[in-house]
Amino acid sequence: MKWRSKDLKQYLQAKEYIDTIMVPLVPFHLSNEQDMEKDSFRNEVLTVFSNEMEKELSGRMMLMPVYNYIKSTDMNVEKDRLNDWVEDIKVQPFKHIFFITFDSKWRKLEQELDGTLIWLPTVQTGDILSKELQSMIREQVKEITEFIRSYW
Amino acid sequence: MSDKKQQVSRRQFLNYTLTGVGGFMAAGLLVSPLRMAIDPVLKESSSGDLVNVGLSVDDITSEPQRVDWTVEQVDGWYESEPSRSAWVFKNDNGDIVALSPICTHLGCVVSWEGSEDYPNQFFCPCHDGRYEKDGTNVPGTPPLAPLPYYEHEVRDGILFLGNPISREGA
Repeated sequence: MKWRSKDLKQYLQAKEYIDTIMVPLVPFHLSNEQDMEKDSFRNEVLTVFSNEMEKELSGRMMLMPVYNYIKSTDMNVEKDRLNDWVEDIKVQPFKHIFFITFDSKWRKLEQELDGTLIWLPTVQTGDILSKELQSMIREQVKEITEFIRSYW
Repeated sequence: MSDKKQQVSRRQFLNYTLTGVGGFMAAGLLVSPLRMAIDPVLKESSSGDLVNVGLSVDDITSEPQRVDWTVEQVDGWYESEPSRSAWVFKNDNGDIVALSPICTHLGCVVSWEGSEDYPNQFFCPCHDGRYEKDGTNVPGTPPLAPLPYYEHEVRDGILFLGNPISREGA
């Protein structure tokens, strides 16, 4: 499910079944022209990716709105802000929190995050609709699904 | 010969012409009400909604396989569920069965033999819901209704699937 009224209505009726949260972490900027295209493409891929994950596991996992931050920001501040999100989420009986991102900077902070980090290796810029990319995403969705299942 | 040329008089010629033009106008007026009256007959049947899922019937075995395809479904500006999936196989009678993979419990995606502990069943990874091969939910597991099946049709040896149809709980 997603953070939209239709799904939340269902969530409130079936709380005990939904115990997992996924938060996509996406850096944003318009200041570095060299990386603009690359970073926005990663954003697109991650959107497709998290939507596919949500579809596979929609009965047990809720996809949060994307956590955006400025790319050149102080990551320690972002870490605290992200943990604030988790604190609020945990008012509800969620047991598993997953963060999903292409940004490797989070890996250094992995220990301090109140949840599990899923870091996806970089993708090359390309066509979001290309067959290769779609089958790559499908493969990875399968793998990450298995990974999440191992926590259940 | 010159007598025969006089057979159509000016008056007659004008009469014919006017009748002809009048007839056309009357026909023109009648077309729209007639078209409206017989319109339901001309409407395409609902099978027009079936979509080619790119699977040849020869490739369908008794082992369920997953097919994915996309439908264009746009309600105003809201595009919903552009992609769909199905588990397709031939049952014991040799009939093609296409089941929706959406778990009737809370909507996860089930997979065939998704758990090693339960061979020959569909398994939902979220809350261990299970279904028999024909889509019937296994009593005692969370789902309360069988998996929906898709309307299907075979055209030129290619499988076409339509909308999923829900079934009553077992």
